Amino acid sequence: MKGIDVFRIMIAFGLLLVLHYTLRPLLAWRSSPDFLVIALLLVSIRVRPGSAAIVGFLTGLIADSISIDGLGAGALAMSVVAFGASWLKAVFFADNLPLIAFFIFLGKWALDIMYHLASGNLGGGELAMQLLVWSPLAAAVTALFGLIVLALLRPILRTSPA
Amino acid sequence: MASRVSGRRDTLLLGACVTLSVITLALPQAVRDPFAAAMRRSVVAPLLSLQYNAELTRRAWEARERTRAERDSVVLAAMTAPELERENARLRRMLGLGRRLRWGFVPAEALFSRSPGEEYTVVLSAGSRSGVRQFSPVVAPEGLVGMVRIVDPTKSIAIVWPHADFRVSAQSADGSAFGIVGPHLGDEPDRYLLEMRGVPLRTSLTPGTLIVSSGLGGVFPRGIPIGVVQRELRTSEVWANTYLLRPAVLPADVSSVMILHPQRAGSGVQGVWDLASADSVAADSARRADSTARARADTARPRPARTTPARVDTSTTRATAPVRRDTARRDTARRQAPVRRDTAPTRRDTARRDTVARDTAPALPVTPVTPIPVPRPDTVRRDTNPPPP
Repeated sequence: MKGIDVFRIMIAFGLLLVLHYTLRPLLAWRSSPDFLVIALLLVSIRVRPGSAAIVGFLTGLIADSISIDGLGAGALAMSVVAFGASWLKAVFFADNLPLIAFFIFLGKWALDIMYHLASGNLGGGELAMQLLVWSPLAAAVTALFGLIVLALLRPILRTSPA
Repeated sequence: MASRVSGRRDTLLLGACVTLSVITLALPQAVRDPFAAAMRRSVVAPLLSLQYNAELTRRAWEARERTRAERDSVVLAAMTAPELERENARLRRMLGLGRRLRWGFVPAEALFSRSPGEEYTVVLSAGSRSGVRQFSPVVAPEGLVGMVRIVDPTKSIAIVWPHADFRVSAQSADGSAFGIVGPHLGDEPDRYLLEMRGVPLRTSLTPGTLIVSSGLGGVFPRGIPIGVVQRELRTSEVWANTYLLRPAVLPADVSSVMILHPQRAGSGVQGVWDLASADSVAADSARRADSTARARADTARPRPARTTPARVDTSTTRATAPVRRDTARRDTARRQAPVRRDTAPTRRDTARRDTVARDTAPALPVTPVTPIPVPRPDTVRRDTNPPPP
């Protein structure tokens, strides 16, 4: 990947990071879009799986530092998801919008499952409700916002010709 | 070979990340918290600031919406407050009327019909089971509303005074003039006014005179306010005057009414309506006069000043009307003859006044509005001295 492409990806990642900490609190929905997941997947499909895992780990640590408990749970979940996304980037490169949306949906849902299981902040029926109702809803919203973001950032994310 | 190496390296990196995450998770709280705090104060500080500001913005927005909703509620409450005050005042007057009536009445809600041709009928929420009968008078604290026409077990239908079939025998509050009051079937501005017909020529009613039911006919008891004289009407009637009345009760104000039982109507309602303060009744009626009446007053043509509106207008009309000489003679004859014939009604009226004075003078102290009739000179002449040359 060229230096300009890295720069573009960094801009996109920064934008999504800012959106996560500005638009998400403004919306304050019960199932809010997770711009960190979108940013992570955008980066992951453009780097090697190992690098994606490191980016996921650092992003997860940032996210965990703000939450009260569960430091490390987000890092673990994001590392795995980023590694998986990078490993499956061939699917993502299909450039099929429904497929991309499904990919984001799966990524967010898997992240939530791993995060809640690892952090142990929920239990019993509450955990089931979160994983089977609210997490899929949040994943769907994230997928929708992911499509919108991809459409808006297409000029930035276009890879330079070799 | 190279891809296998890089694949192994990726796996190792993933393993390292997972291991570090698990170690972080397994760290005791005392170690984890300083680490997270250090991150919040350094790397994550700008993001936290962004989040904090976004949160503040959202709260400000919510507070604005809440303030707007509260302001709207206050405005709405302020809009409905005068209406509620009016309704409360009216209900208090209804309670006062019920206390003065004491017995023989049914309170009812009045629902106006909106269908064409039934604008002047109301559906009352009381029927024969409550003692309502056909022709029962319907009254309000301000005065007469109408009369029950159709009675069902739980509902009844009444005509209100603008109805074309409505008639009530009426008199001035001081008993000096009698007539029949019915709706004024004119064009729109005056449609919600009343007419008092058949008032003897000798009687002059000044504007502001209170008109009440006379009790003749047996339907409406004596002493229910009907309206206030507004002005005299020019009609083709020669032997009687007609006056335009401003009603005591406006249909728009009629939401709850009292239906009088026949026994109550038969026993009279003396003292229920304070006719002593006829001026205040007139003022109240004037205050509640609707815009149509005001519009009518605004558009009324200016007329010459007169002392007694009835006589002057009538004479002016007769004087300016192009009539034949014999017609005029006959008119003169008529104008002289009724002087004697007027005496008969005068006596009858006097007799009624006497009766009124005996029966109801204590209960109905009225303010004299019209001057006391002076004995006619011809009577004096016949009884005492011969006429002067």
